[in-house]
Amino acid sequence: MTKRLQLKRVLTLLGLLCLAFAGLSSRLVDLQVWRHDELAAKAQQNTQREFWRAPRRGDILDAHGNLLATSIFVKTVCADPVLIGTQQAVVARQLALLLQMSEGDLYQRLLPRLVKNQKGETVTNRYVVLQRKVADETWQKIQMMMTNLSFGVDEKKLSRAGRAFFRDLRTSAVFTDPVDDQLRVYPNGSLAAHALGFVGTENGTNHVSQTVGRDGVELVLNSALSGVAGWRLTQTDRQKRELVALRDEDVQARDGLNVVLTIDAAIQHIVETSLADALQKHTPLSITAVVTRPRTGEILAMVTLPNFDPNNPGASPADARRNRVISDVMEPGSTFKIVVVSGALNEGAVRWADTFDCEQGHFAFAGRVLHDHEPFGILTTESIITKSSNIGAAKIGIRLGEGRLYDYVRDFGFGQRTGISLPGEARGILYPVKDWSKVSIAQIPMGQGVAVTRLQMIMAMSALANDGWLMRPMLVNRLEDRNGNVVQQYAPQRVRQVVSESTDKLMVEALKTVVTPDGTAPGAAMKDYTGAGKTGTAQKVENGAYAEHKFYSSFIGFFPADNPELCISVVMDEPKEGYYGGQVCGPVFKEIAERCASYLNIPADKNLQPGATSPPLVASGGSHTIQNP
Amino acid sequence: MAKNRKNQSAAIRFGPALKALFLCLLIAGSAVGYVWQKSQIYQLGQQIRQREIRLARLQNDDRKLSDQLSILRSPTMLDRRARELNLGLSPAQPMQVLRLAEPASAPPENKILTRQFAERPAGAMTQ
Repeated sequence: MTKRLQLKRVLTLLGLLCLAFAGLSSRLVDLQVWRHDELAAKAQQNTQREFWRAPRRGDILDAHGNLLATSIFVKTVCADPVLIGTQQAVVARQLALLLQMSEGDLYQRLLPRLVKNQKGETVTNRYVVLQRKVADETWQKIQMMMTNLSFGVDEKKLSRAGRAFFRDLRTSAVFTDPVDDQLRVYPNGSLAAHALGFVGTENGTNHVSQTVGRDGVELVLNSALSGVAGWRLTQTDRQKRELVALRDEDVQARDGLNVVLTIDAAIQHIVETSLADALQKHTPLSITAVVTRPRTGEILAMVTLPNFDPNNPGASPADARRNRVISDVMEPGSTFKIVVVSGALNEGAVRWADTFDCEQGHFAFAGRVLHDHEPFGILTTESIITKSSNIGAAKIGIRLGEGRLYDYVRDFGFGQRTGISLPGEARGILYPVKDWSKVSIAQIPMGQGVAVTRLQMIMAMSALANDGWLMRPMLVNRLEDRNGNVVQQYAPQRVRQVVSESTDKLMVEALKTVVTPDGTAPGAAMKDYTGAGKTGTAQKVENGAYAEHKFYSSFIGFFPADNPELCISVVMDEPKEGYYGGQVCGPVFKEIAERCASYLNIPADKNLQPGATSPPLVASGGSHTIQNP
Repeated sequence: MAKNRKNQSAAIRFGPALKALFLCLLIAGSAVGYVWQKSQIYQLGQQIRQREIRLARLQNDDRKLSDQLSILRSPTMLDRRARELNLGLSPAQPMQVLRLAEPASAPPENKILTRQFAERPAGAMTQ
């Protein structure tokens, strides 16, 4: 009987044990098999962390390695309103000083708010951005301030939970995003702003903000400048400290490439200061200048005034951010005569010694009367350039013929983009011959009925300064890695030879006369260099008609004329105190040319008497001026 | 003769006791060593992390200083400083630049220069 009872008890116990083990086994299978993926992911989520490693955006340098744009790592300061508890006022007061924000605004941000999370649950917000782009030094001050923050309570007398609250508040309530943000810095302010462009911020992957180019070189070469992000897959302990030994993946970010421009910061500075003076003197709506090296097509300076500070582009109106050199089109006026005259000479349609009757300033053609700025009688081909006769140019155009004129205009690069590495370049307006009116053949040679960009115009003049070879404008010289190794080198590109070398020589001779007392731009003549160039004064078109007293004035020239080093274009939009190109832009060209020549140490080609002294160019006010010794 | 098991059981058996002690020490030592190593790995990991942070900070500082140097050496900044300090600096005019023509290199058979030095009297060297 006893034995049977014992056996029954043993069996019961065994049954219970089996049941228990069965329960455990089923739980084990449930956890390890059925819910394996879900729980493994959850476990991984608790310990595994992925850190993005932001690449540093490449620098932009000038031709001599001077820094034009760089990036510095900055912090995004955030807060956890839950950990702040009821201490918003104290924290906001202290942070406001360091972040230079309003205390009230900070207080509002630090208040806990109910938000819906990704699962649609209502939770208290534990992440709020207080300020972006905070310097590392400021963040260190914030950390120190938070550590030493006093709340006016004796924390030793508080409960354990109370002490833990203040400890967490000090250490974890204010924090930074794990991935540093970048601040784009343009150390020279507005220098070369239109060529450099500016950047903006957009949200990238994993809520990491990315710096992206919005205009200029920053936009065109954004992918090269941006680099490639790296990442680190690692595990952390309960206090979210990284366990270095348990790193799974560690991929370094590849920094962006440095872009080396053809722009020379010193020349850019010279041009900007000269234009600023001209802007003050003639108060035009805008003024632009471009300096190129005709042999290579390199752009050494590109200036548009008014300009903007790329460090804070939003502070300037959209008009000031526009690069008028490439995006605005205008009727070129008399500077366009170089196209028709060189084309006609090249084709043999006119000869150097040919003369043209300029009709004393009034020439009726196709129902329209063309005018010169002053009455001229018989002029040679050269004199037509010297005096800038519209009637003479029209007659040369008529002799050249519509088809050939159109071809030369195209060959000089008009009506098509130059291919410069900048966004927003306009093609200009050049109608095909079939759409020309009867008067077009007379209008186009004097720079009416076509619209060009200022860059197209200077490249055409540069072609004449380069034995007739049209070059592609070059703004980017090379791409380098962080250590200065050249990744890609860009070479000058010839587009085509527009006119022969002999024609080119004749054109240069004609252009030299423009800066003589007989020409239209004696004010552009330089003391030590033989210059050559062409003036332009174009009436502005408003509402489909030429506006009275509104002009585009321009001068495009190069020097030394027989061995050109630099080609410079100066264009003003509605200048006051004079409007003829030679009158208002010629002196600006001269000032820029002389200062650039001095900086580049270009050998003088005239007035080379030994022992001759020349007054030094000294810095005074905002510009270099001639001063008597 | 058979052993007296009663007497023998009362005697201390050092061999097995030592073995057991050694085994215990070995296991305990291994356990402590394992924990110590784990702790070392953790501490070294933290040190690596600290050094990585320091390296990144130093590299950042280096970049900042290098950028500052570039800014201070930029033509724009130098021009501005020259104006502010009123140093009277001005760009040289073409007339103020003396250009020296690069002398053509002497052909290899030309021994004139060598001979001049060789033939110079000893007294002339001291003058």
